[in-house]
Amino acid sequence: MYYVAEVINDECTKYKCNQCTLFCPEPNTLMYINNPDERHAFVYANRCKGCALCVYVCSNLLKRNAIRMVMPEIHSST
Amino acid sequence: MSFKVYQINPELKDVMPQEIIDLEEKSTLNNPKRGVMDLPFYKELIEEHSLCAGCPEAAALRYIMASLPNPEDTIIVNSTGCTSLVFPHIAMHTVHSLFGNQNAVASGIKRVLEYRYPDRVKDVVVLAGDGATVDIGLDCTLQSFFRQEKITTICFDNEVYANTGGQESGMTPKGHVFKMAPKGKQFEKVPMWQLAIDSGCKYVARLTVSSPKRVESVIKKAVYVARYLGPTYVHLYTPCILEIGLNSDQGLEEMRARDKERFEFFEYITPEAQEVIDRVKAEGLL
Repeated sequence: MYYVAEVINDECTKYKCNQCTLFCPEPNTLMYINNPDERHAFVYANRCKGCALCVYVCSNLLKRNAIRMVMPEIHSST
Repeated sequence: MSFKVYQINPELKDVMPQEIIDLEEKSTLNNPKRGVMDLPFYKELIEEHSLCAGCPEAAALRYIMASLPNPEDTIIVNSTGCTSLVFPHIAMHTVHSLFGNQNAVASGIKRVLEYRYPDRVKDVVVLAGDGATVDIGLDCTLQSFFRQEKITTICFDNEVYANTGGQESGMTPKGHVFKMAPKGKQFEKVPMWQLAIDSGCKYVARLTVSSPKRVESVIKKAVYVARYLGPTYVHLYTPCILEIGLNSDQGLEEMRARDKERFEFFEYITPEAQEVIDRVKAEGLL
């Protein structure tokens, strides 16, 4: 039971940087959806180890604050 | 091996795990122009590794797997260490050697593949930590350079034997103290990149993994030069955040700090290696 990353879609949609998806150490965990209707990063919560490196990249390096750490449903129910 | 290995028998598709189906349908296999910018959109060759949360080495492995130009025909030789925890989880041929003899094993594999498949390109890439490459395996590493074996050697330098509790290694900087090295390192860090140059490597690079695009560029250059010319060596700083007492989100910050000092980007290219790189660039593969 631990916190995992969650993308704030409305904030993330304002940019198209992809940077968090590159710096995540976990494969296929922080991905990017790039459709005409939807354009933002998203997290597979059951794969995220909760290192918060993406939050460092988004908030500290890029000053965008589009990712936060939350207790996901899959963990809070166990 | 070829891309066909990843193709699933249609009759078995309904019982295959989704990750295996994704590997066939959504990966960048069979695309020589693949790179790190595919990572946010495509299936990766690594699947749920067991390294620590926030481990920079895990990020390095993602970039390397995404950058290899010919993964279907690449054989990875690895050695004992944190990296060896990842190799059971990747969709490539890997050979786990004894601790320190990975370059000798890779040399043999490369020679046999050249003999067995004279008409096909087969890349052999060594991935090992600083203990295996520089301390215990220095003999095999340098001897493979002297023999001009056409292999790429990539060293993950975390400056300590992290997997066994924090003993100092040859790559530990002078004066650094670890749990199992309380007196502090008594002598200087081994300049392995310089040894690689003096031993005849055609392409040598030293960098941290704080820049994915730079890692991609270096790995591609190293693989192409090794394919056509001779040995290449890449020295990557991948700090062990646990052993140096950092939180899981501080690995990138640590690497960005070291970018400006002892791991400042350094690249050595021989004139003939530069010709290979220019040719590959002209083909649009770099």
